[in-house]
Amino acid sequence: MNKGKKINPKGFEIGQLKILAIILPLVIFMGMPIIFIINHAFKPMEELFAFPPTFFVRKPTMENFTKLMEFSNNSGIPLSRYVFNSVIVTLLTVGISLLLTTMSAYALSKIKFKGRNLLTQINQIAIMFVSTAVLIPRYLVVCQLGLINNVLAHVLPLVAMPVALFLVKQFVEQVPDSLLEAAYMDGATDMTVYYKVILPMIKPAIATAAILVFQQVWTNMETSNYYFQDDSMKTLTFYMNTLVNANNTVAGQGMGAAASLIMFLPNLILFIILQNKVMNTMASSGIK
Amino acid sequence: MEETKELTKAEKKAQKKALKERMKHLKSGKLEKRDGRMGLFFMIPWFIGVAFFLAYPLGTSIWYSVNNIRTLPQGLMFRQVGFGNFTQILQSDPDFIVQLVDYITSTVLSVPIIVVFALMIAMMLNMKIKAKGFFRMIFFLPVIIVSGPILTMLTEEGAGSISAIDMNAITGAIQSFLPPMLADPISDLFSNMITTLWYSGVQILIFLSGLQKIDKSMYEAAKIDGGSGWECFWKITLPNVKPMILLNVVYTIIFISSNSTNPIISLIQTSMFSGDREKGFGYAAAMAWLYTGVIIIIVALFALVLMTRKDAYEKQVKRAKKAQKMEVRKRKKIERRNRRNAKRIEHQRAQGKITSRTTTRDEY
Repeated sequence: MNKGKKINPKGFEIGQLKILAIILPLVIFMGMPIIFIINHAFKPMEELFAFPPTFFVRKPTMENFTKLMEFSNNSGIPLSRYVFNSVIVTLLTVGISLLLTTMSAYALSKIKFKGRNLLTQINQIAIMFVSTAVLIPRYLVVCQLGLINNVLAHVLPLVAMPVALFLVKQFVEQVPDSLLEAAYMDGATDMTVYYKVILPMIKPAIATAAILVFQQVWTNMETSNYYFQDDSMKTLTFYMNTLVNANNTVAGQGMGAAASLIMFLPNLILFIILQNKVMNTMASSGIK
Repeated sequence: MEETKELTKAEKKAQKKALKERMKHLKSGKLEKRDGRMGLFFMIPWFIGVAFFLAYPLGTSIWYSVNNIRTLPQGLMFRQVGFGNFTQILQSDPDFIVQLVDYITSTVLSVPIIVVFALMIAMMLNMKIKAKGFFRMIFFLPVIIVSGPILTMLTEEGAGSISAIDMNAITGAIQSFLPPMLADPISDLFSNMITTLWYSGVQILIFLSGLQKIDKSMYEAAKIDGGSGWECFWKITLPNVKPMILLNVVYTIIFISSNSTNPIISLIQTSMFSGDREKGFGYAAAMAWLYTGVIIIIVALFALVLMTRKDAYEKQVKRAKKAQKMEVRKRKKIERRNRRNAKRIEHQRAQGKITSRTTTRDEY
């Protein structure tokens, strides 16, 4: 385990220079959006509307954030309520969907049972289908289940995510059968194999899937838009979006910039927490 | 002879019966039973979710696509139109066709670029360089941006293209060399270079995991035998990451096509909520199914090109099995013919047409 933790080589060698020469410019390109978002949030009013638009902030202020705070204090529902909603919904969805995804990925790729191919194919078609088109039928389903204005309406539609299943399944397939057989020989049940063999071996896939699902849930406005009439049940994303759209005036722009930084930060934090797992366990998973 | 034949027939029947019985018994073996049970157990939670929120809505949308639906105060009003929606889209919706063609060309062009770029970056990140972890993070970070509303903001600000390079020169050069059919999407691609590259975060990650699973001793062995780095790439790295390439291609296509910035998706959405008599849910559902069909075709094309071929041994086994099957079929055919002919001769003999007993069944 320890071996995998150190991915950076210790010294600096001349041989690394050519790689660095290619990578560094690309890094600058790829890093641009992040720098832009951070800079944008701290720009004072006149810089936000400057033409040509500036990339870096010249006179950073906290003006946008204080305005955002003031605005949310004046509205009926406090900001903390939305934050609470978002956190609960995101935690529930990510947790449940990871559990379901890994379980079904294990079953689909390692256990032989009737209808396995059919289920795989359903999943593959579902990946390719555009989610916009199932909007209305989904609404009807949610209606019939009586989930309107219920927290579960945030969670359930997003729980079964075909792309995540597809991704995790590919990783589970690469776990060698002999490993599972060895576990069975030692008297492991399917549950034990799933918990003690499969899960540790596909940790990187789980971390990747977690990031994908998190992103999907965190930036999702569909559920708040369609399944909730009660404003106090809606999520932070929805609130931020209405903020920007409703005040599409000069003041709205600054608040929007601040809001997008706030929306972006949890992504960044989660990624920094998980990136160790994502990057390292791949090396030490021992799958050959 | 007649008797022995009868006996064998009866014997065969009995044998078959016994085999069937045994098969039945085998079918409900403990292991398979347990596997089936466990498989279902693991699948059920996921299956319920899919059934309610994916499969059922998908089915409903097929039903919608052959209907004209209007929203009235009393509820939805359905009127069956058969394939009317589809023909209407194909015949009288120029927007959709134009954007579909645009989408196809841009996808077919940008998918290889994204995948190759991701493979290159992943290989570089797999080498020994300082601050590897930091680089990996930077390359993955755009993933958490591109799906959000931030991307639209950024493209509005013009951050989607490389302003340092003179794009007009490149696009101009391309347009003078190539026919406009090809030149337009390619120059589009160049002007959206950064956004294209931003899409490659997950792909890099998948490639990295594939690369790290390659046994290092293979490279050592190749080097001892005098293989260059270039040869190592083609003979070791590429075959080993091949399944990952397919996975990445599929993922990229799906990602591009279901992205919220995709114009076709917004087109579907607008036609879904448009007040037009002819449009509405049914029309939008038909559109979505057409679009899905196109996506499936693109994925299938790429998959056909990249499908991992079976290795030589498996091929040989398959060929041998096929030859065996042919042999069996041939033998059965001859047997059948023999039997038929024997019957005919028997019949003719009974009628007294043939008197000599020289032609017997065995001589055929």
